[in-house]
Amino acid sequence: MTRRISKYKRFTMMNPIIQFFKFIYLSIKVLIVVAGGHGGTRSA
Amino acid sequence: MSKIVVLGAGIAGHVAASHLRRKLSKEHEVVVVSPNGNYQWIPSNIWVGIGRMKPKDILFPLAPLYAKKHIDYKQAKAVSFHPEGDSEEIKPYIMAEYVAGNEKGTQEKVTYDYLINATGPKLNFEATEGLSPGKNKAHSVCTYTHAQEAWIALEGLIKQMKEGKKVKILIGTGHAKSTCQGAAFEYILNVEQELRRHKVRDMAEITWISNEYHLGDFGMDGMLMSYGSNIMKSNEMVEMIFEDRGIKWILEAGVNKVEDGVAHYETLDGEYKKESYDFAMLIPSFSGHGFKAYDKTGDDITDKLFRGFMIVDADYTPKPYEEWSVQDWPETYQNPSYSNIFAPGIAFAPPHSISKPRKSKNGTDITPAPPRTGMPSGITAKLVADNIIEMIKHSNQELHHKGSMGNMGAACIASAGFGMTTGSGVSITTYPIVPDYNKYPDTHGRKLGKTFGTIGLAGHWLKLALHYAFIYKAKMKPFWWLIPE
Repeated sequence: MTRRISKYKRFTMMNPIIQFFKFIYLSIKVLIVVAGGHGGTRSA
Repeated sequence: MSKIVVLGAGIAGHVAASHLRRKLSKEHEVVVVSPNGNYQWIPSNIWVGIGRMKPKDILFPLAPLYAKKHIDYKQAKAVSFHPEGDSEEIKPYIMAEYVAGNEKGTQEKVTYDYLINATGPKLNFEATEGLSPGKNKAHSVCTYTHAQEAWIALEGLIKQMKEGKKVKILIGTGHAKSTCQGAAFEYILNVEQELRRHKVRDMAEITWISNEYHLGDFGMDGMLMSYGSNIMKSNEMVEMIFEDRGIKWILEAGVNKVEDGVAHYETLDGEYKKESYDFAMLIPSFSGHGFKAYDKTGDDITDKLFRGFMIVDADYTPKPYEEWSVQDWPETYQNPSYSNIFAPGIAFAPPHSISKPRKSKNGTDITPAPPRTGMPSGITAKLVADNIIEMIKHSNQELHHKGSMGNMGAACIASAGFGMTTGSGVSITTYPIVPDYNKYPDTHGRKLGKTFGTIGLAGHWLKLALHYAFIYKAKMKPFWWLIPE
């Protein structure tokens, strides 16, 4: 069965204050994943 | 002194050229050959396609920037490759044909010591009968001109909806082997939000059509991801979003023909169906540009350089899905026959798809092609530039900079609606891009902490921040190199 977005979840998704902190968190997390390095796979 | 020629000035070509210029002294020549006079930040095309940005917001002319930065620029298209030169020219060269200015139509041999082929894909609209931007009520957002045309059509439709007309909107992939589902996903959510903003949402039936087996496959075989405190499959996440937005979906569909307001498609079950629409945005398949290559004597050696896209250090041995591994994927993007030729970004030939290949009962391949857009394009272009710089500075033929898509993370910050307080974004990161089932056998080939998804207003702000950051970086403004690819 498909999950639904609850009213509370929607409130947190669109609340600018909560989302401001989420923006900071997301920016850092994305930076860690993307700029966190890359390399080969064959010598491992 | 070395001369490096970069073909293409998209994300990969421009990243490579700018890093080469910054790190190499002026005695070395960096030449960009590209038919496009503008740099465009393609990820923002979807906002042009809903009228919330103008083309001028997402592009800038290349010639003044390159002149200022001492990068030689030729507004020309590559015609043929001559990696051994010919009887008259001892150096390898590219035959280029100018597409603008006084020299338009004239051809020139552009010699090189190192060549970076960053020509990206050909938007292969011809592979789907009747699919052409602006024709048969079907549109594209693959370029800013296509996106602008799409908005003009959509704006007209919104006007009709305000007058009481009920419409059908179809968005997704326009070929059985299309990729870039992410762009179509962004566009459908943005269109849905714009219809709500214009208070005509109830007048439209919006349908997603895709060659994916599951929603949220995105050409990457789907993902198992962290979502808040839960662990969720990408298809569950996308289903949840589509349910929330009232968007219907058609999957396993290989669109093969487009007529005026009708998309014909084949399903994996082998059935032939059709879907009518008043407005469609269908991503075409991508293909190589059909370049030819010749050796010193003029013999055709296209097979040494291309298999559709450019051949690089991937393992192209045909093998079944169960035997695919991350080791198949290239690490340095160097052509095995000519060590001074590289192909980062979309220009390299992938060894196979990432998603499990599937054929319809009629034998038609209905499988998303692997995505290499955006961040992977930038990262692979930078590592190619770094390897060339080392080769030049240290006369070193060993390539130290490697970046396999099986050992590289990517972020897809998908806009789900425009607006500083009403916007939304679906932020997804994945590590690695190509699933490594040996390293992460229990989590669908990916590292859970680094593969996560989230939905909300912050995603829109992040996408907007990336828009401005990457255009700043592309304009090579002070300290641009501190912004990662």
